[in-house]
Amino acid sequence: MNNQPYSGSILRPQRTGLAKWLPIALGAVVLILALAFPYIVDRPRFWLPNIGIRSLWLGVIAMSLVFLNRYVGLLSLAQVAIAGVSAYGVGFVVVQLELPFLVGALVGIVAGTLAAVIVGLVAARTKAIYFLMITLAIGQVFYSWASQSIEVTNARRGLAPINRPEFGPIDLANIQTFYYFALLLAIICYLLCRYVTSSTFGLTLQGIRDAPDRMRALGYNVFGYRIAAMAFAGFIASIGGILIALDRNQVDPNVVSLNSTLDVLVVAVIGGIGSLGGVFAGALVITMLSNFAQNFTERYMTLTGLVFILVLLFAPTGLAGVWQQVRRLVSRRRNAQAEQESLSGLTEQQPRANTQKGTSNEAD
Amino acid sequence: MKLTKKTLVSGLAAGAAVLLLASCSGGASGDGGDGGGDTIKIGILATDTGNLAFGMDEAKAAVGVAMEKRGGTVDGGEVAGKQVEFVYAGTDGTTASAQTQVKKLVENDGVDLVMGPTSGDEGETVVQYAMTVPEVTFVNGAASPVGMTLEGAENFYRFMGDSVMWMAGVGDYAANEKGYEKIYLLAEDYSFPYDNAGGFFDEFCAAGGEINGASWVPVGNTDYATIISQIPADTDAIYVGLGGADAASFLSQAVAGGVDKPLVGGSIAIDITALSGDANIASAADGMISGGPVPGEGYENPEWAPFVEAYAAQPNAFPAPSIFAILNYTAIESLLLGLEAVDGDLSDEQAGLREALDTLEWESPIGPLKLDENRQAIVDNFMNEVEEAEDGSLVLKTISTASDVRQGTTVYDRFETCADIQ
Repeated sequence: MNNQPYSGSILRPQRTGLAKWLPIALGAVVLILALAFPYIVDRPRFWLPNIGIRSLWLGVIAMSLVFLNRYVGLLSLAQVAIAGVSAYGVGFVVVQLELPFLVGALVGIVAGTLAAVIVGLVAARTKAIYFLMITLAIGQVFYSWASQSIEVTNARRGLAPINRPEFGPIDLANIQTFYYFALLLAIICYLLCRYVTSSTFGLTLQGIRDAPDRMRALGYNVFGYRIAAMAFAGFIASIGGILIALDRNQVDPNVVSLNSTLDVLVVAVIGGIGSLGGVFAGALVITMLSNFAQNFTERYMTLTGLVFILVLLFAPTGLAGVWQQVRRLVSRRRNAQAEQESLSGLTEQQPRANTQKGTSNEAD
Repeated sequence: MKLTKKTLVSGLAAGAAVLLLASCSGGASGDGGDGGGDTIKIGILATDTGNLAFGMDEAKAAVGVAMEKRGGTVDGGEVAGKQVEFVYAGTDGTTASAQTQVKKLVENDGVDLVMGPTSGDEGETVVQYAMTVPEVTFVNGAASPVGMTLEGAENFYRFMGDSVMWMAGVGDYAANEKGYEKIYLLAEDYSFPYDNAGGFFDEFCAAGGEINGASWVPVGNTDYATIISQIPADTDAIYVGLGGADAASFLSQAVAGGVDKPLVGGSIAIDITALSGDANIASAADGMISGGPVPGEGYENPEWAPFVEAYAAQPNAFPAPSIFAILNYTAIESLLLGLEAVDGDLSDEQAGLREALDTLEWESPIGPLKLDENRQAIVDNFMNEVEEAEDGSLVLKTISTASDVRQGTTVYDRFETCADIQ
C-alpha cells in the first residue's frame, strides 16, 4: 500500500495565514482578469474566440477528466467523446430536426450524461491502465461511428450551421456576450465540482479512491458510486460539448478525434492533473501555442511537445502546483540556511568551549 | 549568481515566454481589411502537417511562380504599385485547425485577402467563416467540395473545378468508348470521394451503366482482400476512388488476388511515382482511366510549359507540379490579376476587386478560366489514361479534354446503386 500522503486527501491539514489567503486572492485576480479580458485585449474578435472561449471549453472538458482522476482515481480518455456526444446532440436537433437551440442543449446534455453512464457501465469495474485503454477505445469507436453515420452525424461533412441563439436581450451571436456566457458556464461547472467534492458524495468517492475494498466492506456500492461519478463528470463534459458546438458553429468528427482527446489530456497535465482550476491555465497555454507557435518555427508541433516535456520535468504537478513547488523550494532554502547558520554558530562556539575547557580536553 | 543547469533552463523558458508574449501582441500591423494603406497583406492558408503536409510547400511554390513573374518573391513584392506581403498559416487539414488559423490570419494578422484552404474537410469551414467577415475576400486554394460555392458566400471565389467536375467526360467515355456495362465501386468513405465518384457514376449510369456492388472503406485502409473477394465475376471494370498510397495497396493486393479487371481511377488515385515502383502494380495500372484538373503528357497549351519550368525552379518542388501547386497557382494568379485590374484598390469593402474577379478571364496553364454566377470557375477538365512506356515505367497521357465544364448543384452522399444518385 502507498502510505504517502495524497494531496487530495480527506484529512488535509488546516491552512493558515498566507497559505490560506493566497489561493483566494489568486482566484479573485484570475476572475477579475477573465471578466476584464474582452476589454484588455487589443483585438477582441481574435482573442475572444481563438484564445478565450476555446480555453474555456477545453478547460471545462479537462475539468471533468481531472475530477474523475483526482477524486475517483479513474483516468478517463472518453471525456472528449462524451462532450462530442453532447455537441452532436445539439447539432442533430438544431440542424437535422430544425428545433430550437434550447431543445438541442437539453438533448445534448442528457445524451452526453447517458453516454457517460454507458461508458461507466462498461469500464468502471476496471482500473488504472485497463480503464484508460477501455475509455480510449470507446472514444475511438465513437469517432469511427461519427465519421461514417450519414443519417445521424452527416459523416465527415458534419452538422452545420449551428447558429448561436438569442434569448431576449442576450444575443449569443455577439462574440463578447458569448464569451461571458461561456465564462459563466465554466464558473458554474467549477463551483459545482468543488461543491460535489466537499459533499458526502464527494467524500465517499475519495474513500473509494483510496480504499475501495474497505468502502465495500463498509457497505458502499463502489461500482454504483463510480457510475454516479462518471455521470456527473459526463454532465460537466456535456456542458463543454455545448460550448464547442456554439463556438465552432458546427460539429464534425474532428471534435472527437484522437488529437482532440490528446489535447484535453495535455491541457489537464499542463494545468495540473490534480487541480480543478489549474486546467484553465493549461488550456490557455495550449490555445496560445496552437495560435502563436507558428510565429517561431515551422515545426510548431514540436514546440508544443517541448513545452509539455518541460512542464513534466520541472512542474510535475502542473502549473497549478508551481506555487507549492516555489513554497517548498523557499522553505527548503530557509531550512538549509537556518541549519547552516546554526552550524556556523556551533563552530563559532566550539573553539570558545574548547578554550574554556582548556587543558581538560588535553587531559582527556 | 552561479549558472546551474536549472537556472539555464529556467532562463531559457522565461525568455521563450517573453518572446511568445511579444509575438502575440505584435500581430496586426497591416491594414486589416480597410484597404487604406499601401501594403496589401495576403494570408495563405495551407496544410503543413499530416498526410497533406506538402500542401504548404506547393502553395509557396505557386505563390513563388506568380510573384517572380512580377519581380517579387514568395514573401511579397510589388503588385500594381502596391506592396504585397504574404502571411502563411499552416493547418493539419482538419476543420478545427483551419478555423483557428483562418481567424488568426484575419483577426490577428490583419490580412486583407485570404487564399486557401487545401483540403476538402477544411473547405466548408472556411466558407462558413468567410460569411462572417464580408469585408475580406477569399480565394479557394485547392479544396474541392461541391457545396463550397453553393453556400451563398459573396466574398468567396474558386478558380478551379470541384470534385464532381473533375470527372467530367469520364463516365461517358467508360460507357460508350470502353463499353463497360457493370462497374464495381470501391472508394474511401468521406466527402471528397462521394462527390468525385458521384461525378463519374452520374454520367456512367445516365449512359446505361450499372453499379454492381459498392465498398466504402476508411481512409488508410490496408486490407482489400475481403473486398476483392466480393467483386462479382461479371464486373467489367472497378472504380478505384482511393488516395495514392491506398490505391497502391489495393493494386498490390488485386495483383496478388488475381484480379484482371480494367480500372477507372478517381481524381487522386493515380500517383505515377508510387505506382511505377512495383512492376506488378505498374502492369495492373496500365490502361487505367481517370479524370481531373492535372493534364498528362501530350497536353498542348502554350502556358503549360513555362509554368512547369517556373515551378521546377522553386524550393522543395516535386519533379512535376502536383495538383496542389496547379490549383494554388490558378488561385493566386487570379487574385493578383484582379488586384492589377483595380490598381490594388481595396476601398469600399473591396467592391472593385470583387467586380474585377467576377469578370476576370485569363488563359491559365490548364486552360481558360472564368467564373459563373456563384463565383465558381468554368474550366477545362482532363481525361487521362495510364500507359506503360518502353522502359516499363508508367506515364499519364491526356486522351481528351472537356471544355467549359460547369458546376452542377448536386452534392453527393455515400451511394450504393445508380438509383441512389438519379
